[in-house]
Amino acid sequence: MSASPETAGTIYDIGYRHYDGPRLGRRGAVSAIVRAGLRALFGLGRSGRAKILPWGTLALALLPAVIAVAIRVLAGDIIELYSYDNYLWEIGALLPIFLAAQAPELVVNDVRHSVLPLYFSRPISRLDYVLAKGGALALALLSITLLPVLLLFLGRVLAAEDIVAAFGDEAGSLVKIVGNALLHAVVLASIGLAICAVAGRRAYAAGAVLALFLIGGVVSASFQEQGGALADWAPFVNPLSILDGTREWLFGGVSPNSPVRAADVPGPMYAVATLILLGVSWAVLAVRYRRIAT
Amino acid sequence: MALISTRALTKRYPGGVTALDGLSVEIDEGVIGLVGANGAGKSTLIKVLLGLLSPTSGNAEVLGLDVATHGGQIRERVGYMPEHDCLPPDVSATEFVTYMARVSGLPAGAARERTADVLRHVGLYEERYRQMGGYSTGMKQRVKLAQALVHDPRLLFLDEPTNGLDPAGRDEMLALIERIGREFGMTVVVASHLLGEIERVASWLVAIDAGRLLRTAPLASFTERTGQLVVETEEETDALVAALTARGIEARAHGRLATVELGGGGADAVYDAVRDEAVARDLPLVRIEHRRHQLEDLFRDPATPTAGGGSA
Repeated sequence: MSASPETAGTIYDIGYRHYDGPRLGRRGAVSAIVRAGLRALFGLGRSGRAKILPWGTLALALLPAVIAVAIRVLAGDIIELYSYDNYLWEIGALLPIFLAAQAPELVVNDVRHSVLPLYFSRPISRLDYVLAKGGALALALLSITLLPVLLLFLGRVLAAEDIVAAFGDEAGSLVKIVGNALLHAVVLASIGLAICAVAGRRAYAAGAVLALFLIGGVVSASFQEQGGALADWAPFVNPLSILDGTREWLFGGVSPNSPVRAADVPGPMYAVATLILLGVSWAVLAVRYRRIAT
Repeated sequence: MALISTRALTKRYPGGVTALDGLSVEIDEGVIGLVGANGAGKSTLIKVLLGLLSPTSGNAEVLGLDVATHGGQIRERVGYMPEHDCLPPDVSATEFVTYMARVSGLPAGAARERTADVLRHVGLYEERYRQMGGYSTGMKQRVKLAQALVHDPRLLFLDEPTNGLDPAGRDEMLALIERIGREFGMTVVVASHLLGEIERVASWLVAIDAGRLLRTAPLASFTERTGQLVVETEEETDALVAALTARGIEARAHGRLATVELGGGGADAVYDAVRDEAVARDLPLVRIEHRRHQLEDLFRDPATPTAGGGSA
């Protein structure tokens, strides 16, 4: 209505406009990388195919908790399928699958297509870049390590006769739930990122991640079967059982099917092994990203 | 105050290669041509100024900030277009440039708006929604330029921006660079080994060779007239030179070209002498012209004129 017939439908080249608005600097840059990383990890803004794996993995991770809660609601606490302690061990296979499929998405192409100079010519440092990407990966993993166990928690509280009393009973476990979820997310993100940093292509990175956990799992199981001194080593060839041992040492509670049960090793050894995993991962990242020429 | 200043800047790579060797230079506003042969240290200089590489010794300031201590702040207000491919193939130009704007620190809304503006300025329209893997070299160069411009930098570093472009694409890129300097009011440092291109856009030149400063001056002073005449003949150049020398005129032969010193006030006499000697010998004369300095002279023996001989 307000536009006159002459101006309506005409596009004018208004020339170059300068930007005088806010600049969020390094903080804005890091948060942008984390957001974009999360979108990539969950296939948001991409084809439907890219969403299948991350959302499928998350759904599968939630499924046992949903079933456990449903049983509890319908039949009361007759059986204890999953506890806060064994849940992550029982769904453990999903974590490497998510890591192998999605972590390469995050960093491999930046190296392969030389996008890094464009990042590093912006207000961030190399360390900021690695921390932002690692943060995005850890947050994504946290959805798998935290949400199902929180659902279990909510089920227990809300299905109880006396919700307030039940919350009082269960609230103490929140530290353990969040602590264990963070432990798994941060360590697995570090391992995944380190492998991706040295792999030249997404497929190699995915293969290497899967191989590490698959071979680790198989070797660990066979050690456990052999029994004796080998059983003590069994938890240490699989990163997931190292994490389970660390969880048990930090928060207590057992996971009956984990090789940690069969091994006779003092708890702090698992923490040491976890620190070694973290240390090696970050050393690889430091060397790799310092060397990458821009 | 200079926008860029370096003092005794030296960069040695671990392999022992010295890319910058005690370079001291001041750069002011305008479109600045950073010229030198491949390997002269142009890219290394840009990377040091961006804080991507740390110098072995010496120091540098950009926008009044020390590159060693304020890299982040500098990079917030500086744009960089690298020489090589740097675009992921599986995202669209719009998506990528918006993301790069945000990594430069722009809020989401501003990033989207400026991306639309900048892609239009570099001449990318409908294709900006397509994945960049299918782009031509020309389109990729435009996106690379757009991501360097999107956060409205005060200073723009372009490393070999016409690399891989066909002649039409080169013309368009050079026109764009000229417009960025003039209309957008940004200082643009264009690194190139192609002097002919730099000549078309730059107002000031910084010439480096083997990591050292060769010369820094306004473009005009690089191409001003010399006190020499270039004479090209089909044959008997040596005889012509000998005859001129016999008349007391300083002349030298370089194949079919002769350079003749014009001297002070006797320029007309020299022209006449060349004409007379040529006529006397019935020489097939190709051209006679007043030689200008050429950018190429910077990088070669100053006594040798070029076949293009200053028709500029």
